Amino acid sequence: MANLKEIRNRITSVSSTQQITKAMKMVSAAKLRRAQDAIVQMRPYANKLKDLLENLSSTLESSEGIYSETREVKNVLLIPITSNRGLCGAFNNNVIKKASYLANHEYANAKVSMLCIGKKSDEFFKRTEYHIIGSDLPRHLNELFDNLTFDQVAPVAQLVMNAFANKQFDKVIIIYNQFKNAAVQILQEEQFLPVQKPESSSSGSKVDYLFEPSKEYIVTELIPKSLKIQLYKALLDSHASEHGARMTAMHKATDNAGALIKELKLTYNKARQASITNEILEIVGGAEALKG
Amino acid sequence: MNIEIITPDKKLFSGTVTSVQFPGTNGSFGVKNNHAAIISTLKKGQIKLTTEQNTQEVFEVNGGVVEILANNITVLAE
Repeated sequence: MANLKEIRNRITSVSSTQQITKAMKMVSAAKLRRAQDAIVQMRPYANKLKDLLENLSSTLESSEGIYSETREVKNVLLIPITSNRGLCGAFNNNVIKKASYLANHEYANAKVSMLCIGKKSDEFFKRTEYHIIGSDLPRHLNELFDNLTFDQVAPVAQLVMNAFANKQFDKVIIIYNQFKNAAVQILQEEQFLPVQKPESSSSGSKVDYLFEPSKEYIVTELIPKSLKIQLYKALLDSHASEHGARMTAMHKATDNAGALIKELKLTYNKARQASITNEILEIVGGAEALKG
Repeated sequence: MNIEIITPDKKLFSGTVTSVQFPGTNGSFGVKNNHAAIISTLKKGQIKLTTEQNTQEVFEVNGGVVEILANNITVLAE
């Protein structure tokens, strides 16, 4: 049986770990609420924009813009969105696994590049043969999460859009965790470019709008906007998912630490009792011997 | 008429107004009650509102779109 002091030390170390995980859980819970709020704030804008685009493109026949051109897929850009920090369960691993799978199987014949958002995917793919274009803007992309606003995200989206328009890439895919609820994240693989024509659910009543300056102009203005929103939404979702995942992971860790402490306490008490019994036996034995 | 100015990050303004002035791409234009349905893009400039209490409100935008439909104005600003 391990000696008493050893067990006592283990109990102390496990309970301080438990304190840390408990604190991290609480921090994540607070951050999760804020991240969720951001999603709710963004939703009306995204919905309205989608409505407008659907309304417009259903009446417009040729919406062949520079962003909707379908080319033979030779150069693929993957955008894995992960977190900057670990300790959030399989959150980052899922994204990295999916991105690797896409690169090695689905697009094995194409040249694959990565634009890593979040330190975790950056660290992983840095060591692979994929060309990382994130290195053009060093560290910048990892800092996105420190201050996640639309104004921060829009230039990144613009950069990707320009690269697509210059025929640097033929297809752009975002891989991220979609936020369902605090405990559930859904891994999503979304085609960013070329733009897929919105499913025009022409159930809504057609209104005769006036268009200023022209329908075509408005569509070409709106498509980049909706792309930026798409990336922004993916980032917000991922951000909320991260905190949800961390909260769950830390909750489990706290529970596990509690179970471990309970077990250690039991062993400790058993050892303590055994040593006391031993001591008594020794004393009694000694006394018996003296009686002669 | 009702107006809503929304950005991707938050809702800037929501309420009833008597007239609005927009920085349209082809030049500034004003909107009063019962305007025809219109969709227009905006350029960098200011949106000026006159509220029912006859006070002025001004918002800076970097561009965006405005949709006017049956006295409901929605501005997607940036």
